[in-house]
Amino acid sequence: MVIIKIFCVLCILALNFSIPVQAETQSMQDEHHHHNMTLDSSGLVMNSNDNTLPQDCDKLSRDYNIKVYAGTKYAADYPGTVFGMDQHEYQVEPCSRITVTFVNEDEVRHQWMIHGLPRYLYPGGMFHLEAAGGHSQTGTFIVPSDNKTYLVHCDMSQHMEKGMKAQLKVGKGSGDLWAIPGVSKGFIQDIYIPEEIWIYLMMVSIAGVVITTLLISSKRS
Amino acid sequence: MYTRWLFFLSILVALMCFPLQWYPMALRLQLGQWLGADEYRAPPMAKIAADTTTELPCPEDLLNWRDAQTIAGVDVRHSPGCIVDNPNAVAAFVRGTNNVSQQILMASGLTPDAVEKGRDLDGDGDPDEIHIRLEVVELNGGSPESDLPTTQYAIAPGISPGFWVFAPKMFGMATENFESSKARSMLRLPSPAIRVEQGDIVKITLENSHYMPHTIHFHGVDHPFVDEDGEGNDGVPVTSEKPVLPGSSRTYNMQPRQSGTMFYHCHVQPHVHIMMGLQGLFVVEENRPNNWLQTLNVGAGHVRVPSVAVTEKFDREYDLQYLDIDIDLNNRIQKSNDPRLITRDMHRRYDITDAKSDFFTLNGRSFPYTFRESLVVTKPDEHIKLRIVNGGSTGIALHTHGHKVTATHYDGVEAKPAARITRDVVWIASAQRVDLDLETTNDGLHSYGSGIWLLHDHQEKGVTNDGIGPGGNVSAIVYENYLQENGWPKTQGMDFNKFFTAAYYRKEVPVWGDLLNGKFSDVEFDLWMLIRLLGLGLSLGVMVALVINGINKRRP
Ligand SMILES: [Cu+2]
Ligand SMILES: [Cu+2]
Repeated sequence: MVIIKIFCVLCILALNFSIPVQAETQSMQDEHHHHNMTLDSSGLVMNSNDNTLPQDCDKLSRDYNIKVYAGTKYAADYPGTVFGMDQHEYQVEPCSRITVTFVNEDEVRHQWMIHGLPRYLYPGGMFHLEAAGGHSQTGTFIVPSDNKTYLVHCDMSQHMEKGMKAQLKVGKGSGDLWAIPGVSKGFIQDIYIPEEIWIYLMMVSIAGVVITTLLISSKRS
Repeated sequence: MYTRWLFFLSILVALMCFPLQWYPMALRLQLGQWLGADEYRAPPMAKIAADTTTELPCPEDLLNWRDAQTIAGVDVRHSPGCIVDNPNAVAAFVRGTNNVSQQILMASGLTPDAVEKGRDLDGDGDPDEIHIRLEVVELNGGSPESDLPTTQYAIAPGISPGFWVFAPKMFGMATENFESSKARSMLRLPSPAIRVEQGDIVKITLENSHYMPHTIHFHGVDHPFVDEDGEGNDGVPVTSEKPVLPGSSRTYNMQPRQSGTMFYHCHVQPHVHIMMGLQGLFVVEENRPNNWLQTLNVGAGHVRVPSVAVTEKFDREYDLQYLDIDIDLNNRIQKSNDPRLITRDMHRRYDITDAKSDFFTLNGRSFPYTFRESLVVTKPDEHIKLRIVNGGSTGIALHTHGHKVTATHYDGVEAKPAARITRDVVWIASAQRVDLDLETTNDGLHSYGSGIWLLHDHQEKGVTNDGIGPGGNVSAIVYENYLQENGWPKTQGMDFNKFFTAAYYRKEVPVWGDLLNGKFSDVEFDLWMLIRLLGLGLSLGVMVALVINGINKRRP
């Protein structure tokens, strides 16, 4: 028990030094963009923007506050998935400001990441919330004016594939993405058939031959 | 009436087209006596080799990761290989990710709680409370959006079997960036080698970020069966605890009293999960003052911050992990996306008793990639510590060219000096560990001098990629004077570019196509023989049609 307490103290210390910084990922081989981000052991917020309008917007149209819950229990409604979110589709007006609070109810990391935003405002075209297990993160972004469907997902290995995929439609959107639980089918689909399918197929084919032969011979006579 | 003539004509054509080589031997001999030898006709020409795209054998080290450098007060050694570990991550593992700056965390990609280091309990100048957090990552998995694998990781050119690995806790995307589907460099096979000090109070939290249940079993590491609260601590679902479900976590506790080279692996359906890559080295280092350890060695290989005890006796240290792969198992994660179908295919339909290995890896790569990052580099008159685990399904017969090595420890237990054996083939059974002392004294016994000396499993299938050689776990012991500035060995043999093509390992490139002006190249087909065979087929078809026609006519 003493050890657990020590680690709690360590965690608090870790939280304390997590002042927001303008971080440069200069020596990260994997990342070439300059992100505005805060990182601590509860997770991170990347490219949050609550005041700069996209070039094509004259003014903010309105504000949204979205609370998203994530965890394996939200996968219950979608057979064949393991990781889940309570919403898989979001609809907002062009030039609106969206504040997302991402609540992670699992004991592992999860992410709420949106791609395809204008790169001059969001390095890499993304806005990213990442919550460590049992934590939540809040961040804000402003969408441009065009009708477009944006990909929202958790980019941990296999989390999108196994359920953590959603879409954000600005205005009328630009159609549905593939493989959004509750919205669209997968582009590559699993086939669910009994193991003895070949026996069934053969039996049906034989039945077809027999029935046809009987019909023809009965007409002849 | 013409049908009868057509029938005879087709028989004649069939006989003429029938290849001479297929005639009965007696008939051929008789014909030869009557007509003499056949006239010379040149066999087909050599095929012009197809253009194959070659990967760069040794990509440039743009971020100077290979250099010796001091980061956060940690002296990270020069790493001589071509592709090496991120020194920022190495430093963060030594100091503890809770004790380094944001800048170093950003540069390493690690979360602040990936490796937490706490108090110095015995006052000897190094931390004794260690908390490691590991996630489970799937490499080359399936997707409902594309038939290409996701979070891609190649063990050799064009070869990407599915894997599950334990990985350090990192923030951000699993891939290099949004446009890329390649796994970021720290997400890789094998699972990281773990290093703790004898007597450390160690916590290892498994944050199961994967869609299947897993555990960690600490093979050979001193740990209690249950922890202080009576919770299972052995990682074995049959006896000590329930598996850690997707999205859940469990913390294992231990304070190892004995040092040595040990092993850790998942113990859920172990015949599948261990072979999928959920396994790594676990080293308990001897207690010394000021012993700041590199807690994780990502991808195993060169230890850039060796322990105090190792530096007392050795000049360098390498972690070597061997694993063989049955592609029939590993590719099952790519065939379906529904976890119910995947688990059925992997845990019920797959039968390991029928398994046969196709690929053989050293530190998660097969030749030629082993030459990029798993060379054992040395100078004359050195002692190198090799910590070896065989994580595979069959034993390996590890052979050192040009050297006889001495086994100092078996399964983490030191052999008495009188019982030590010096030899050039070391047998390592599944899950066994052997510590080797590689001595590079040029005395004709321990070393035959400088050079590029192969290091490989001498069971011959182990030096192939699915039967194509050179491949498998072939690496080398390379003396520094045989190493180029960029870390690539000064080989004097065959052109390596050929081995850095996916086509070569798809079996599309002749193994000696570039030797002797194409004397061993692929061959064009014989057009004349092809025409004859087509003629034979056609005339046989005509005959069959005529026979059916004749039978039909005769029917009343
Ligand atoms: Cu997730
Ligand atoms: Cu497992």
